[in-house]
Amino acid sequence: MNKVTLYDSHKKLNAKFAPFAGWDMPIQYQNVKDEVLAVRNAVGVFDVSHMGEFFVEGPDTYAFLDYLLPNDISGAAMGKAIYSPLCREDGSIVDDLIVYKLDAEKALVCVNASNIEKDFLWFQKFLKGYNCTLTNQSDKYSLLAIQGPHTIQTLKKLGWDDADLGLEYYACIERADYIIARTGYTGEDGFEIFCSHQFVQELWDKLMELNVKPCGLAARDVLRLEVCYPLYGHELSDEVTPLDSALKWTIKSQKNSYVGKEALEKYKPKSKLIKLTLEKGIPRADYNVLNDKQEVIGKVTSGTLSIILNQGIAIARVDLAKANQSSLFYVAIRDKLYEAKETKKPFVTGGHL
Amino acid sequence: MSLNIPKNLKYTTDHEWAKLENGIVTVGITDFAQSSLGDIVFVELPEVGTKIEKGTSFGVVESIKSVSDLYSPVTGEVVEKNSDLESSPEQCNSEAYNSWMIKIKVAKPDQFEELMAPSAYEEYCQNSH
Repeated sequence: MNKVTLYDSHKKLNAKFAPFAGWDMPIQYQNVKDEVLAVRNAVGVFDVSHMGEFFVEGPDTYAFLDYLLPNDISGAAMGKAIYSPLCREDGSIVDDLIVYKLDAEKALVCVNASNIEKDFLWFQKFLKGYNCTLTNQSDKYSLLAIQGPHTIQTLKKLGWDDADLGLEYYACIERADYIIARTGYTGEDGFEIFCSHQFVQELWDKLMELNVKPCGLAARDVLRLEVCYPLYGHELSDEVTPLDSALKWTIKSQKNSYVGKEALEKYKPKSKLIKLTLEKGIPRADYNVLNDKQEVIGKVTSGTLSIILNQGIAIARVDLAKANQSSLFYVAIRDKLYEAKETKKPFVTGGHL
Repeated sequence: MSLNIPKNLKYTTDHEWAKLENGIVTVGITDFAQSSLGDIVFVELPEVGTKIEKGTSFGVVESIKSVSDLYSPVTGEVVEKNSDLESSPEQCNSEAYNSWMIKIKVAKPDQFEELMAPSAYEEYCQNSH
């Protein structure tokens, strides 16, 4: 099992650990609820060093990424971060990722820890003919996500560079010791800092001295689900396309070509993701979802108790035709059916820029 | 880790505590269990009158991120449930040994004697790390 650089620091804080994508990761420190509330109302820090970092470098960096990914990478301004699915020719999703446009000949691509090897092979397959190199530098980088409305004031107290703190939402910049981006997975304002293992220890220790709340992957999952961000392996998988997964906005049909374009242009979605709230009961992944005729029409992909709403929330994948005729849904929890209301907006609106 | 294991109770391998008084076994989850589960946010208990078997699930406790079954330490019939826990599940965290879940009219009193004594349970917890 892989250990993050800060493993001993987490251990000292009495973190509970669990295996995640081959890493022994801190799941929670004291209390998930307090960690979620710290990020919504103040500031928290996540060690997400398990995430993968690829670098694409050379004159054809953006031509390559633009062909590989459905979203518009070339058209985005230098210094921007772009979220995109990574698709196969048939439109199915290999992974979802963020491209950070560091300079005209260098991009960082941050991928899910569980998919590093699969993604790298997929990237390599299309590299031929492009004048750029691809390297997997996941082992060299630690990653901290500092998230919450007090992020800026906290980093100011550390004497952090004002130019970095002035970054726009989904913008990034590379410095000598780190790459910083105004991105995150919580819906709140915040930064993600990719850095060396030595730098991460110093930064973590300073954040702890300022009483920034250490937050684990459990709180991170609640936070992302409250604002309805998808998670690979749950909402997204090898079995579905972006068009089945509320990611139509990431597919740029005006692009001349990209991997999966032909398939996606012809594709008719069979299922869709819906958002459900429950007055009673906590929905969990794989629980059956039923329509008003009490027919099983799909399954919960992610579910939890929302800390902010104090009620059960779920994203579910349901059969398109059977769901569209229904105004009422049920989630089967153990042997009982619990009423679930569909909502169109995210459960919680985060405070990001 | 210092373990809170009262001497007047018996214990299961699934981390329930049990107390026998006048043919009625009172059941809850141990301090070790609540601590491993983290924030308990939901408790589901059986209705009074339900017949339950030793070692089978009689309900669930849920933390924010997990669902765990509750297992009956004895065979018998549920004669009372602690409805307070359904509205205030967090009591299981703050007062594990005052947060009784159900009372069972025990069918086979010998089953209570087979449960772990506090010393055996303490050793069991230390080995389960």
